Amino acid sequence: MAGREETQGLLDENGHDAGNRRRMSPFCDPNHLLHRIVVLVFMCFLGFGSYFCYDNPAALQKQVIQDMQLNTSKFMQLYAWYSWPNVFLCFLGGFLLDRVFGIRMGTVIFALFVCIGQVIFAMGALVNHFWLMELGRFVFGIGGESLAVAQNTYAVNWFKGKELNLVFGLQLSMARVGSTVNMNIMSWVYDQMTNLLGHTGPFTLGVALMIAASTCVFSLICALLLAYFDKRAERILKKEQGKTGEVIKLKDVKDFPFQLWMIFIICVGYYVAIFPFIGLGQVFFIEKFNFTPTQARAINSIVYIISAPASPVLGFMVDKTGKNITWVLCAVVTTLIAHMMLAFTFWNPWFAMVLLGLSYSLLACALWPMVAFVVPEHQLGTAYGFMQSIQNLGLALISMAAGAILDSKGYLFLEVFFCACICLAVIAVVMLYFADLVRCGELNLSASARAKLQKSLSAESEVPQRLQILKKKQQQEQHAHIKPLSAFVLRNRYLSRLGAQLPDHYNIHLSSLAYRSLLR
Amino acid sequence: MAAIKHYYFIYFTLSQVVCCVNGFMWNGDTFRRKVSLEMNPGLTPPSVVPPGVSMLHARALGHNDTLHFLFCSGGAPALLLIHTHSTESVVEVNWDRFISADPTGSVKVAPESSVQYRGALVFTRLWEYDELNSTGQSVLSPYELQEFEWDDMNKTTDYTHHAAELCGRHHSFSSNASLCLHFSAYESSGRVEAWPRLLHNANSSQLRVLLRNMTPRTNQSHFGLELQTVSEAGLQTRVDVHRSIDDEYTPSIFQVSEWVWSHDNSSSVVGFSQWKPVVYQKIQPAIEDAAPCSHSEPVDLPQAPPSRIILAYFTQSSLTHGLNVTFNVTSEPAKNSTQYLSWTMLAGIGTPPSEFFSSLVIAIMAVGLGTPLLLLLVGGVFICIHKRNQDTFSQYESIN
Repeated sequence: MAGREETQGLLDENGHDAGNRRRMSPFCDPNHLLHRIVVLVFMCFLGFGSYFCYDNPAALQKQVIQDMQLNTSKFMQLYAWYSWPNVFLCFLGGFLLDRVFGIRMGTVIFALFVCIGQVIFAMGALVNHFWLMELGRFVFGIGGESLAVAQNTYAVNWFKGKELNLVFGLQLSMARVGSTVNMNIMSWVYDQMTNLLGHTGPFTLGVALMIAASTCVFSLICALLLAYFDKRAERILKKEQGKTGEVIKLKDVKDFPFQLWMIFIICVGYYVAIFPFIGLGQVFFIEKFNFTPTQARAINSIVYIISAPASPVLGFMVDKTGKNITWVLCAVVTTLIAHMMLAFTFWNPWFAMVLLGLSYSLLACALWPMVAFVVPEHQLGTAYGFMQSIQNLGLALISMAAGAILDSKGYLFLEVFFCACICLAVIAVVMLYFADLVRCGELNLSASARAKLQKSLSAESEVPQRLQILKKKQQQEQHAHIKPLSAFVLRNRYLSRLGAQLPDHYNIHLSSLAYRSLLR
Repeated sequence: MAAIKHYYFIYFTLSQVVCCVNGFMWNGDTFRRKVSLEMNPGLTPPSVVPPGVSMLHARALGHNDTLHFLFCSGGAPALLLIHTHSTESVVEVNWDRFISADPTGSVKVAPESSVQYRGALVFTRLWEYDELNSTGQSVLSPYELQEFEWDDMNKTTDYTHHAAELCGRHHSFSSNASLCLHFSAYESSGRVEAWPRLLHNANSSQLRVLLRNMTPRTNQSHFGLELQTVSEAGLQTRVDVHRSIDDEYTPSIFQVSEWVWSHDNSSSVVGFSQWKPVVYQKIQPAIEDAAPCSHSEPVDLPQAPPSRIILAYFTQSSLTHGLNVTFNVTSEPAKNSTQYLSWTMLAGIGTPPSEFFSSLVIAIMAVGLGTPLLLLLVGGVFICIHKRNQDTFSQYESIN
């Protein structure tokens, strides 16, 4: 009976809405840009809490170690525990959002996980139990990465075919802002709490972390509001609930080409030398370069600060020039140089850190889209899931290793260790380059060469007879240097790289963006 | 196959390079001495030393020189360094005069003409500072080390490892509190296990100062040590602070301080004391148990330190300098009972040993940087050959 009433009510409301649509103010009209901008604000702040809290330990490194009486390897466990759930959840996140919870429910649930995780983390400090803090980071990790996937799905759903690239860019910048604000403000919050409570200690730390948790509550509110707006839009516009469209088939792993494995190695080797380093960075700059804590926090957040404006610019550049492998090589070698400068010189670390920030942004722009070139579209979800999973596994293991190395062998050895990780990435880039060369892949073609390839193929697809002749020739030719992808896919791939607006189901690169977690 | 052979070849070459670099770096430190310890040299059985006085003689015999270390606890504890260019030189102590009221001239090294360098390091005071809130610090009355009751070193002397520990306490100390000086002499270069793992060589000895169970007199006390040195007239002294990028053996410490003596007219260093600005608060410390320590500039002092062996050995024309080393550990009331501080220094002749990257670091960097370059080279050659072969086989048809 109740159900019937509800449907009745809904129907009524629908009719009512349809009648009133013209009279809705632009802020309330889901079709109007202003309304979408309002939604975009909530979308951006949806992830704010998790980005803010992810680097809480780094921002309070000294305080956490002192108050909880840890050593560095125990401290780095906090980062490892964040990564562990994501080794598996990268595969499950999309599935859970699409099939189990739905995007709205799923987003609220993941935001809730983030929130509860951070509260447990803070509670652990309040009651002075480190294992509780670790548990908190674990729960936080369950929500964190999946929330980013949900955020991207919302973005695709609301801004498909309109301002999507801009929206992705804004979300990315917002993520960086969250990390930067955290780096620079948490210590101040802690000091204020010390003044207020009159002493330092686990309790003060816990209170400071509880305050940080308020950003997660804020994000949770955003999630609830988004769910409401989305539901409302669905009702008014009669559109479908957003889906990640991610299909994970672990069976596909055995079909992954050699190039993809090299991309995985680059991804792991590179990122493990960035995130654990930032996690340990603050004290490093204080100890080695005699920075004040404020300076150390500022320089430690420079990577994030730079990547906010640099990512769109560098992304545009990579898109215009192509030659992804060359760019990746540039980024990895620059990072290696930056790390070596930090390891072997006393030069002003601002220089090295700015280099690191630039190369980090460049790598993100050049590396992630490469996956879409080497894997057929239906395997993209699996490939990206696998990439993130391996990356998280690497981060978890290397975080623990980095802490242990620092404890026993000091910063020089730690930096040398990070250099070794990057050297591994360099080796993988070189191998990838040769593999691509030998297999005549298109990873390192310039944008114009890709265009030419595309042009010839699309021309041929219009003349089926010529295509058939070509196909026969290709079959005869032992060294087929063109991959048998459909012209449709190739054209779209090329056009989307040019930034041309395509209907969204054409644009496979949107999905490559959507798969990406914003934390990376 | 060829590529693998190449790998082996290159790795082999690299390892050779690493070994060479290593060998080169360690070359200066393969120098060994023969060290022998002797308690109270020249003391014949009927006569005994009064309580609180003990003298350890470490004789480090080189190929054509001898280094004498005399570690002595009459008055303020002192470490005397005498370098002679003879393998036959001996330390002679006139014990009757040494323990008398005026010990002047009772310690000699014979032959006197063989002495090249003489210097002494004396620990004279234990300072305690009260850290006042924002208004600086006030100095509490210092503990004079000459007033300490020193234990007999005989019991703690380890003849196989050439080490000894001298412990003493002030009458106002609590029952289990003590200040100990752990002395070690070395036959060759190396490092001890415990942090700060200073690199020592056969020309140096190590002194570790241990403060155990001290009860601070205020809630916010710092401790500090006053060091005095005695050297011959004509030597100049200065404290250099070097920054070092290598913290592999002393994690998170990137500085080393060297108090050096050199002749007026030359820059070559004849004697040194070396330490890292770190004090550890646990017996088996982690990075978090390290606290910084700082030192003041050395100043000239008008009179010789109150140590028996200094009066006994040095003549009037010696110079005395002093500086304070402050351990910046804020004592927290709750942790009073377990207080432990350890600070380590080297004292020796010649130039102080300097750190170099460990072979592991060099090997990792060499392999890490070498492999991609090698790969690029091998791959490039391979691709060239491959392309050439392909070109001779078939010409690509133009797709268009």
